[in-house]
Amino acid sequence: MTQQTYSKAINQALYQAMELSSNVLVLGQLVDYQSGVFGTTTGLVDKFGTQRVCDFPVAESLMTSTGIGLAMSGMRPVLVHQRVDFMMYSLDAIVNWLSLMRFKSNGKLSLPVTIRAIVGKGWGQGPQHSKSMHAWFAHLPGLRVAVPATAYDIKGLLLESIFGENPTIIIEHRSLFSMTSEVPDIPYRVRFGEAVVRRKGKDVTIVAIGFMVPQALRAAEKLALEGIDAEVLDLRTISPLDEEAICNSVAKTGKLVVMDPAWKSIGMAAEVIALVSEKMGSNFKTKPARICYPNSHTPASSALEVEYYPNETSIANVIRSVVYA
Amino acid sequence: MNHGELLKMGEYNHLSIEGCSPDIIRCLYRFMLRLRRCQEALIKEYYPADEMRCPVHFCIGQEASPAALSLLLSQSDYLLSHHRCHGYYLAKGGSMNALFAEIYGRATGANGGIAGSQDISVHDLNFFSGAILSGSVAIAVGVALGFQTKALRSVAVTAFGDGATDQGIFWEAINYAVLRRLPLVFVCENNRYSTYAPLSKRQGKENISERVQSFGMNVKTVFGNDVALLYSVFSNAIEEAREGRGPCFIEAFTYRWNAHVGPGEDDYLGYRSVAEREFWKKNCPIALLEKQMVGQNLMDSKIKEKMIVEIDQEIATAFQFAKESPFPHLKEWSQLNYNIDTPQADRLLETIDSSFFDQNQKEAMPGPY
Repeated sequence: MTQQTYSKAINQALYQAMELSSNVLVLGQLVDYQSGVFGTTTGLVDKFGTQRVCDFPVAESLMTSTGIGLAMSGMRPVLVHQRVDFMMYSLDAIVNWLSLMRFKSNGKLSLPVTIRAIVGKGWGQGPQHSKSMHAWFAHLPGLRVAVPATAYDIKGLLLESIFGENPTIIIEHRSLFSMTSEVPDIPYRVRFGEAVVRRKGKDVTIVAIGFMVPQALRAAEKLALEGIDAEVLDLRTISPLDEEAICNSVAKTGKLVVMDPAWKSIGMAAEVIALVSEKMGSNFKTKPARICYPNSHTPASSALEVEYYPNETSIANVIRSVVYA
Repeated sequence: MNHGELLKMGEYNHLSIEGCSPDIIRCLYRFMLRLRRCQEALIKEYYPADEMRCPVHFCIGQEASPAALSLLLSQSDYLLSHHRCHGYYLAKGGSMNALFAEIYGRATGANGGIAGSQDISVHDLNFFSGAILSGSVAIAVGVALGFQTKALRSVAVTAFGDGATDQGIFWEAINYAVLRRLPLVFVCENNRYSTYAPLSKRQGKENISERVQSFGMNVKTVFGNDVALLYSVFSNAIEEAREGRGPCFIEAFTYRWNAHVGPGEDDYLGYRSVAEREFWKKNCPIALLEKQMVGQNLMDSKIKEKMIVEIDQEIATAFQFAKESPFPHLKEWSQLNYNIDTPQADRLLETIDSSFFDQNQKEAMPGPY
C-alpha cells in the first residue's frame, strides 16, 4: 500500500481496468495527450492505443450517446469531462436514454457507462467551470452517483463503476486532485451506498459530501479543542444513499449539519435533512443546518470567491450554532 | 431529388425486379403486405377496443425500407430505429405476438408492457427504438465504434426521418462516422414532415443529402417506395460497411399515409395537399412491386389470396395472444431501474477496507486551467 494522489489513483484505476478487460475504453477530449486531463489519463494511450483511448471531438452530446452505444455492444466505456459544465450538452443522452434503458428494456439490458466529470474551484473558474450538479443526476432513477473525497475512494469507486452494471456519474472535485491517501496497488472495490465514518463523535453529526469532507474533518478537529465532539460521515455515494449510516449517527448525536458542495436549494443537503425528518423527526435535539453555496452562480473575481465559498470560520460557526442552540 | 420535384413525375415507372431473384422479390412483397395488413388491423382495432393505451405511430406507406432491411441483417447486426418502428421491429425478426402484447401493455410484450409502441426493443435481436429524434442515430455511432474496436464484421443500421436531421447531434454523428470510418449505415426516410411541419419550414435548403455529402460521407438518394432499388442500395452499403470501407447515408423519399400519431387521419389540418397525398398513394410501394411481379408471372390472385390468409391468421393470433395475456405485476421499482448484481466486479475486484484519510494536507492549488 502506498500514498498516492487522487489524480494518480484515477490514473491507476483506469490503467488497471483497461488491463483487466479489453472491453474498457476511455473517451474524452484530450485524453491521449501527455497532460492527460490533470494527469488522470496520462500514459494510457501508450499502452492501449488510440482505439481504446479515444480523443473525442468537442461534441459532448454525441460522446455520451456513443458511450451508450458502446455499452449496448458489450463494451464498458469511461467518458471524461474536463468540467461538469461541458457535460451539460449531453443531458438528452443521459436523461432520455442512459438512465432509462434498463427500465424500458424491462430489466433485460444494463448499460455499464461510467461518466467522470470534474468540478473546478478558484483562480476565477467562474460560473461555467465550477458547477457540481450531482443532485440533478441523483434525482434521476437508473443512475448511480458518486462524489468521492479521497484517493482511496476514487480508485475503488471508479473500478466498481466500470465493472458494475449500472450507468454511473462520478463527480470529481479538482481541489482534491493533489491530496493523498493510502491506495492499495491491487484493483479493489468500494461499494455504492456505503458511507464511512471518518471521525467518531457524540455531540453532532456532520454529513459531508465530496470536497466538503476534508473541510468537515478540519472543522471537527478545531471544534474538538473547544470540547465539541463531532462525528463526520462521508457519504461517498449519493445514489444510492446510505440512509442507515445517516440515521444511526443522528440517533446517537441528535444534531445534524449537512455540508454539500453545491447550491443550497433543492439539493442533497435538503434531501438528507428530509430523510432524517421523515424517519426520525422527533429525534432532533436542535434544528438541523445546511452548509452549502449561496443560491447564486459562482463569481470569477477572487474577492467574491472568498465570499462565495464557506470557509473555516463560517463552517465552525454553523456547527457551533447547531450544537449550542 | 426533393419532394416538390417528385410530385411532377406523376407515376413512378422505374421499378425493376431484374437484379433480384424471385425468392427475394417474393420475400420483399410478403414483408410489405404483412406489415401493411398488420398496421391496418391495429388501426381498425385501436378505438373500438380502446385497449392500446399508448401513442402509436403507424407506418403505412413506408413499408419498403424495413422490407429491404429485413433480408439484409444478421442477428449480430444492430438496428436502431425512430419511433415509427413497427416495420423495423419486424425486420429484425421481432414477433408479431410480442409487438401486439407490448402495445396492449401486457406482460408478454417485447418489453413486458413497459415501453409501449414508440420505445419497443428486443435486446436478444439487437433491435432498439426511441421517441426522441436523432437519439438512436447517435447511439448507433457507439454501437459501430464497439464493433470496430473489437474488429467484428457486424454492422449498425440506424433508421430515422427527416425530422431527425433538424437536430445538432445528427450532424455530430455524421461527422464522427466519417472521421472514424465506422461500420454504420444511415437510413433517412424523408417523408417531408416532422409531425405537421414540412422540411421547407425547418431547414434553409431542402438538400439533406448534399449537406451530408459535404462531410465526406458516401451518399445515395433514392425513390424510397421502390423496394427493389432500396434492397440493392442497402445491400451495397451494408456490404461496404461490413468490409471496413466506412459508413453510408441513404436518403429514401417516401410518405406517411396516416396521421403523425394514432389511427386516424390528420389531413383535416390542411398541412398536406390533396395532389401530394394522391401522388404517394398512386405510388404505393406494394402496388408498384405487385405490378412488376404480375408482369413477370411472379404474382397472381391465387398466390396473393393464399398470402393474405396466412398473414391474417398471424394477425388474428397476435390479437388473441395480446388480449389473453396478463397485465404486468408491479415488481420492485428499484429492480426495474437498477441492476443489483455485479458479476464482473465480483470476479475482478478485491474487497478490502481502508478509510484512513489525513485531512491536514493542502488541497490542489488553483491554476489558470
